[in-house]
Amino acid sequence: MQIAPGALATSAGILAAPHPAFAQHALAQHDARPWAFVTDDEARWLAALCDVFIPEDDYPSASQAGVVDYIDLQLATGYGRGDGLYLEGPFPAGTQQQGYQVPYPPAQLIRRGIAGIRASDAPDLTALDQSAREGFVERLSQDTGTYDDIPAKVLFDELLGLTNQGYFTDPIYLGNYDYAGWKMVGFPGAHAYYLDRVDDPGRNASPPPMGIAHDRAAQPRPPRAIRKDI
Amino acid sequence: MAYETLPKTDVVIIGGGWTGLTAAYELAHTGQRCVVLERGQKRHSVTSFGAPEEHDELKYALRYGHMQDVKKETLTFRNSRDQQALPMRRLGSFLPGTGLGGAGIHWNGQIWRPLPSDLAMRSHYEGRYGAGFLPDDLSIQDWGVSYDELEPHLDFFERICGAGGYAGNLNGAARAGGNVFEGPRSADYPNPAMKQPISNTLFGQAAERLGLNPFPMPSANVTKAYENPYGAQLHPCTYCGFCERFGCGYLAKADPIICVYDRIKDHENFDIRFHAQVLRVEKSSDGRTATGVVYQDEDGSELFQPADTICMSAFGLWNVHLMLVSGLGTPYDPETRTGTVGRNYAYQTIAAVDAFFDDSVSTTPFMGAGALGVVVDDFNGDNFDHSDLGFVGGGYIACKQYNGRPVSYQPVPEGTPAWGGAWKHAVRENYGHHGDMVIHGSSVSTPENYLDLDPTWTDAYGRPLLRMTFNFPDNDRKMSDYVMNRAVEIAEEMDNVTSVSSFNLAAEGQDYSIVPYQTTHNVGGAVIGTDPQTSVVNRYGQMWDHHNVFVFGACLFPQNLGYNPTGPLMGLAYWTLEHMKTDYLQNPRPLMDA
Repeated sequence: MQIAPGALATSAGILAAPHPAFAQHALAQHDARPWAFVTDDEARWLAALCDVFIPEDDYPSASQAGVVDYIDLQLATGYGRGDGLYLEGPFPAGTQQQGYQVPYPPAQLIRRGIAGIRASDAPDLTALDQSAREGFVERLSQDTGTYDDIPAKVLFDELLGLTNQGYFTDPIYLGNYDYAGWKMVGFPGAHAYYLDRVDDPGRNASPPPMGIAHDRAAQPRPPRAIRKDI
Repeated sequence: MAYETLPKTDVVIIGGGWTGLTAAYELAHTGQRCVVLERGQKRHSVTSFGAPEEHDELKYALRYGHMQDVKKETLTFRNSRDQQALPMRRLGSFLPGTGLGGAGIHWNGQIWRPLPSDLAMRSHYEGRYGAGFLPDDLSIQDWGVSYDELEPHLDFFERICGAGGYAGNLNGAARAGGNVFEGPRSADYPNPAMKQPISNTLFGQAAERLGLNPFPMPSANVTKAYENPYGAQLHPCTYCGFCERFGCGYLAKADPIICVYDRIKDHENFDIRFHAQVLRVEKSSDGRTATGVVYQDEDGSELFQPADTICMSAFGLWNVHLMLVSGLGTPYDPETRTGTVGRNYAYQTIAAVDAFFDDSVSTTPFMGAGALGVVVDDFNGDNFDHSDLGFVGGGYIACKQYNGRPVSYQPVPEGTPAWGGAWKHAVRENYGHHGDMVIHGSSVSTPENYLDLDPTWTDAYGRPLLRMTFNFPDNDRKMSDYVMNRAVEIAEEMDNVTSVSSFNLAAEGQDYSIVPYQTTHNVGGAVIGTDPQTSVVNRYGQMWDHHNVFVFGACLFPQNLGYNPTGPLMGLAYWTLEHMKTDYLQNPRPLMDA
């Protein structure tokens, strides 16, 4: 990602508004880590979409919590390549009850779907303000059409699912940065031993979250900064 | 295709899960040389399922790390015969396992017995309500084996698992606090019931105030240090909340590896081969017996394993598939309603009720266990009067706390949007203030719900895919709605509840979908019985058409009862093994006249 130093002069230029996790990452605007799968354009589009699904409030938005980083890693690895997906043809159209019948693994589904939407008459999602983005996503959720050969409904469900996972799964997958999702609901994580307290309603406070690779001394790297002005 | 023929063995067993490993244990100890063919990998509870790595919701619960690979084997699905079935391209509605231990690794550990009337469903209803009571479009039938016959075997499996619970019927005497509707137990559970969290306790109190009979869910999440009859050591459950879809590295959820495999693996009569994908069963030239099985090994070579006796212990659906691709038995034809293989496929009818508490009740959903629940059985089976209800069957209502994994567990009140700020706020506010109820209902068999072979798609081994034709029968839609409304009444009676919502997956007008997870309780397709016109195996689990083939698993159920299948199917397994050991193996022949 090519980012001009100092371009973060106005906070309007970046989707992520300040929050504690983000503040720790003061040099985010210099972040030049390459994406594993998505392009910069796709990342901006995904960030705009994800932050409608999970906007910022007392807790970070999806992109602030690393959901785009999560989706990028997922699309670059087994899930995106179609692990656990039977892709033998033919591919006649089915009913909703018959599930996924698209002839592509998820990485291609999402790439083609985003490209299809961006090539359509729909406004550019990334250029809209938050309220207009919400309207865009609402329309996409009701869309019964196809983009290129990708049914909007299939694309939408896939992206909504990925966003949710990215916010709440273990930080080893790059989302849920600083345990944003786990702190929000009070989920203590992967280290779990509750024999002495499961039946004691007086001891219901959640222990602080600890992920699979929890190491207080070596936090995972914060999400990439995603800008819309380049 | 040319294949290498291996030295003959006494018994070849297809599948290394609960039934296959148990068959190997029991038969090896009677002097039978057993070869188990497991399609998946070797793994062990101690080395493969340890925390915290196993507590990875994405890898195991959402990407199905312990489940079978649909790239290799899947099925096609349609709701009715007038549709084209399409491949189940992704797992969803049900999750068969693969690898040592099979689905017994990622089960929840809910260990039930059938009601006596479940096993004689047709004769029970006709006896109580009259000969014409059951509608013509239901192919409900008796199992051909009674509760009294299965009781010692159900009891033994509970001992193998170190089950925890509280008996409601000890040798015919009812005990308050247990399931007063259950059949007589010859002994109490080997271990005490689980500790209960606040939501389950409030559910039980409300049910009691309504005059119902709550009791702790029977659990194979073990509650005390315990040694099973095979000598396996089990440990107390930690309530970690990673049961279903996960293996248990604490040795606290009974599974086929620690309970059975470890106790037989070094026996001189036991051999197991991993990555051994059985492709078909071979028949003798006169077709009366099977001669062995052809499998593909890790290197892709096809091998023929001859055997005197064959145990089909794959997951139920794949037992039926193997019969169909091997020409065992006669395939069911829904047009003529003849043939038996694939007939009476049934499922489980699931509904859910959510109770949301005010701030004075804080739940801790992450402290959970697969079988951590309080249950009401008053509306299961024929425990209630069906005279004027317009349906048969029923289900249990359980308030359970089995996981708080934050992607899978996002309870929100009815009317909450599916995303956005209001959704996010609702997830945050309700995660720790929720009572989780399930209506786990029976599933009747009908002539139109069945399994056969697909004409279009093939698996990675070139075999036609299994084709599933299934929709919820009207009977079950009504049943599920009725029992769900009883659960709503309990939820509304619970203390400190601010709102209640309900969802019936089998609601009127809603077709069964292969997409959302429901249960891995696929039953039928190779059913047990006393009439070769309507069953694949006789009441001993022996194929009518090939007497040296014995069949195990939930594929034997002629329709599904309101309980989870592992207890009943293991009761049947020990019943079959008993008759193999004491009768058949000394004198191989059909054990019943066709």
